[in-house]
Formats: sequence, C-alpha cells, structure tokens
Amino acid sequence: MSIASRTSGRLATYAGRTQAAIRLAASRRDSFGVFAGVTVGYLLIYLWAIQHLRIRRDVEAGIVWAAEPTTAMMRRTGPASWDTVALIDTGVVRLLFSPINTGIGFALAVLVGVSIALTYLALVQPRACGMGASSGFLAAIPALVGGSACCVPVVALVLGIQLTGTMMTMFAWALPVAVAMLVGSILYIGGKIDVNAVNAVG
Amino acid sequence: MATPSRRSILATAATVGFGTVAGCLGDSGQSALTDETNPAGDVEPALTVDISETAGGSGPPVVDRTLPRDYEFGALVDAAQSGGPPQDGIPSIDSPSFNDADSPPAGLGEASPVFGVDIEGDVRAYPQYILVWHEIVNDIVGDESVAVTYCPLTGTAQGFYRGNVTFGVSGQLINSNLVMFDRATESWWPQMLAEGIQGPHENDTLEEFQIVWTTWERWKAEYPDTLVLNENTGAARNYGADPYGSYDPVNGYYEDDNTLFPPLQTDDRFPPKEVVIGTRNQDGASCINKDQLREERIIEGSLDGIGYTCVYDEALDTGYVYRNPDEVAVRTAGAEYEVDDSSYAADALPLPREIGYDAMWFAWFGYYPSTEVLA
Repeated sequence: MSIASRTSGRLATYAGRTQAAIRLAASRRDSFGVFAGVTVGYLLIYLWAIQHLRIRRDVEAGIVWAAEPTTAMMRRTGPASWDTVALIDTGVVRLLFSPINTGIGFALAVLVGVSIALTYLALVQPRACGMGASSGFLAAIPALVGGSACCVPVVALVLGIQLTGTMMTMFAWALPVAVAMLVGSILYIGGKIDVNAVNAVG
Repeated sequence: MATPSRRSILATAATVGFGTVAGCLGDSGQSALTDETNPAGDVEPALTVDISETAGGSGPPVVDRTLPRDYEFGALVDAAQSGGPPQDGIPSIDSPSFNDADSPPAGLGEASPVFGVDIEGDVRAYPQYILVWHEIVNDIVGDESVAVTYCPLTGTAQGFYRGNVTFGVSGQLINSNLVMFDRATESWWPQMLAEGIQGPHENDTLEEFQIVWTTWERWKAEYPDTLVLNENTGAARNYGADPYGSYDPVNGYYEDDNTLFPPLQTDDRFPPKEVVIGTRNQDGASCINKDQLREERIIEGSLDGIGYTCVYDEALDTGYVYRNPDEVAVRTAGAEYEVDDSSYAADALPLPREIGYDAMWFAWFGYYPSTEVLA
C-alpha cells in the first residue's frame, strides 16, 4: 500500500470518527451547551477584537446606516476584513455591523465551538486525551489575531511592538492559518474520541 | 454621494437582542430607545458639500516650487509599507457635512483638537476625533476645491488645493506618514512632502494652504461663525473612540516614545513625539520646538543664510513662521507683535509667511534629516 493511500485511509478514518463525535456532541445536552456557549462567547470576543463591539453608554440608542451600504459592505478595510454598513447603539453597547466580518466571525466561532465541544467530550471519556484536550483552545487564538489583521497598528500599539513588512504579511496570513488549525484540531480531537466509550459513561 | 440615512430601531428587537449582548459583557444598564440615532445630533446640518461637480480631471493642480529633498524618490517608494488597510480601505470624506458653531457634534469637547481653515473668510473646523477615522476630507472652502488631510501616526494636519480631483488614502505608509493618492492618476503623494513620488505626477508639487492645529474652544472663540464638520460622513465609525489614544488628556500612542513603524532616520535632540512646527521651502527645511515657542513667544534663526522669525499666537496656541531676509526686528507688544513701531497680530506680520505645520519630531526628522532646528 502506498504512503498516499495509507494517509488517505487514515484521514477517512479520522473524518468518520470526527463526524460521529460531532453527531454525539450535538445530541448530548452538556456538550451542545458547551458548543453553544463557546460559539456565542467567541463571536463576541471576535467582534470585540476587531473593534466592532464596544461599551458606549455615552451615546443614545439608535442606528445609523452607511450612505451606500452595499458599496461599504464590499469595501475591504484589511487583508481579511470588510467595511461596516451600520452603527447600532443600544445606549449600553455599540455594534458596528459588517455582514462579511460577522459571517467570518460566526464561521470561526462555530469551528471553535465544535473544537471545544469535542475537547469536552474527549475529557469526559474514560481515557485521557493528552494534547488533544488543549489543541482546541490553542487553535482559537490565531483566529483572533487573524480577525484583528484589519487593525494591525492598533494590535501593535497594544503589544508595544514596531511593525515590519514581514510582520504585516504574517498578519495577513493569520486568518487562513487559523482556519486550517481549527479544522486540523477538530479532526485530531474527533479522531481520538471513542463514541461508544463516551456513550457508556454518559 | 448621499448623506447617511437614519432610522429608529424596533424597540422590541433591540431590547431583546442587545440586552442579551450587554448582559454577556457584564453591563446591565439599558437606556430608553429614541428615534434620534446619532450623537452628531439631531441638528439640521448648516451645510452639506457636494463635490461631485469637481470630480474628474487629469490630476491635482501643481505649482513651480522648490522643496528640499533628502531622499531619492525611488528610495522612498522602496521604504513604503502597508499600514494594513488597502487603497481606500480608510474612506476619505467626500461629502462633508457641517454644523454651526453653536451646535457642534456631541463628541467634540472644548479641549478636543480641531484643524482650523480660513480661506477667503470661509472658516471651518475639522475635529481630529472624526478625521482619525478618515484622514482626508475632500471639500470646497471659499470656492476653492481643497483637501484637508490628517495623519494620526505623525501628528500632521495639512491642506492642499486639489482642483478637479479628489484624494484618497493609499493604505501605504512612508516614515509612518500617510501616503495619499489622487483618484485621477493614482500618483502617490506623501502628505508631509507634498510632492508626487510615483506615477504620472512624479516630481510635481502640490499647492498648500495653512491649517491651524488648535482646540475647539480656542477656534470658536476666535471664529464664532465657524462651521464645524459633523459625524454625517457617510461611513459607520465608532467616533469618540480614537484607536491610537487620546489628546484630551494626552495618552496612548500620542504620548509614549514608541513608533509603530521604523522611522527613516532618528535623532535624539527631542523625544520622538515632541511637537515641532516644521517649514520647508527653497532655503531648506527648518523647525522649532512648539513648547519652546510657547515660552519664548519669538524664536529667530537662519536657514541657508536667510533669517527666519517665528511667533506664537496665544489665542490659538499655534505658531507662524516668517521668512525675514532683511532681519527686521520683531518684538512682543502685549498679545501682538511690534514691527517698525506698528503692532500686528501673530498671523499678520508684514513679512512673507511660510506654510508651517505641527509634526511629531521623529516624523519631521525622518523625512528631513537636513533640517535646521531654530532655537
């Protein structure tokens, strides 16, 4: 058997086990709760990281639309970010709404949610999962960096670093790298979960 | 371009949806929703400028003017680096809207910085807290098509005549400074240099006009009939939250010694963010320390053998630079200045006045390492 076919076979096995693990996570109240909580929480953190969500008690509730929302929606403001179409104030929080950025944030949040929910299942199964337990959390961090690539100078300001062309390029690649890491971590953790063993405990 | 439309939110949806968000962020306050939506207010704008009639053309007007060049333009182009956003990723304001002085945008504090412009008696103030999100306002002031520009990273506000074209933000930075592009030819125009360094307008020079960096309180006291730019910019931005820090009080990037991008050259005569008033012309580049000018009110020096006199305007907390080849004596006379037994306001001495602008020392020296420091 060639290396390629062996790798493909292993991937298929991991994918099959991950699929089963995701179905299990969705069917259990505890793991689904973890998924939902992490997804919502991560989305909020992501929106905060890209400066779309802020506490603003000094402005009245209301909404202001960009002059040309469709044009604004498609206007890139960074390597992986697009412009906002509306400014939504509640009197407590201010949300700058960008459909594409929110969509990216939601997709990342779902991946992080799945990753953490599977990590949770791995932890509650009888055998400890080793590195798999932390890889979901670690994979979530580059996603935040990738999201904030639109605001690189601001990130640099917070970190107190001076930016070079190489660093700017690295920031531009942060989002696709994060997605790859998240998918990889889901396959890795999902492949380690013995669905039958978890069911026996659960 | 149309002005932003405004709508009220459905109270139920907002209360349920955003109340949840607020709860997640650990803040339980919730104010009543109103029909009015923008902190810029519910005030009918005094003026909304339509620049569409001036759009087009083959580039901005250029002037025959000699400025010091400390670098080959090719080297400057090589030194350009992306600041993050792509071309026009930071949207210029192309349909500026203004309020009267007695109904300024709500985010404008008394001590907030504004960039003041007076062209043929048409007086306007451009708040820094709005321009930090846009960097360029394409406007018509006193029947002149102009661009009011601001770079937060170098602390420079400069005015240019733009003719029938508009300027945009290229997304490139050189020496941390905004690189503008004109939308007719896409030539690159670094703001501080006022010269084309790449494209059809390479080696051309823009015509500038004086902008005064002052505070809202000082500007409106001096010009009660001024108009002030409001937040109806056509873009949805978190006005009132400066991504780099604050000028009132001064903190963040505007205060510390860190630069986000490496300067072209450095010099430790002043701290990197010390404000200098820079001037450049056929004689070369020179600058004065603004704090020193506040204290001494008059600073004199020479550049390439030509005398220069700088005077402080206490009302606006700004300085003016005069070329003084005959080395005419200038003395203080109360709040004004005495020249040949007559008194003059700081901005009206009987000497040729040069365009000067505030800049952070690191940025000024980075572009003009040959600068003389007048002291």
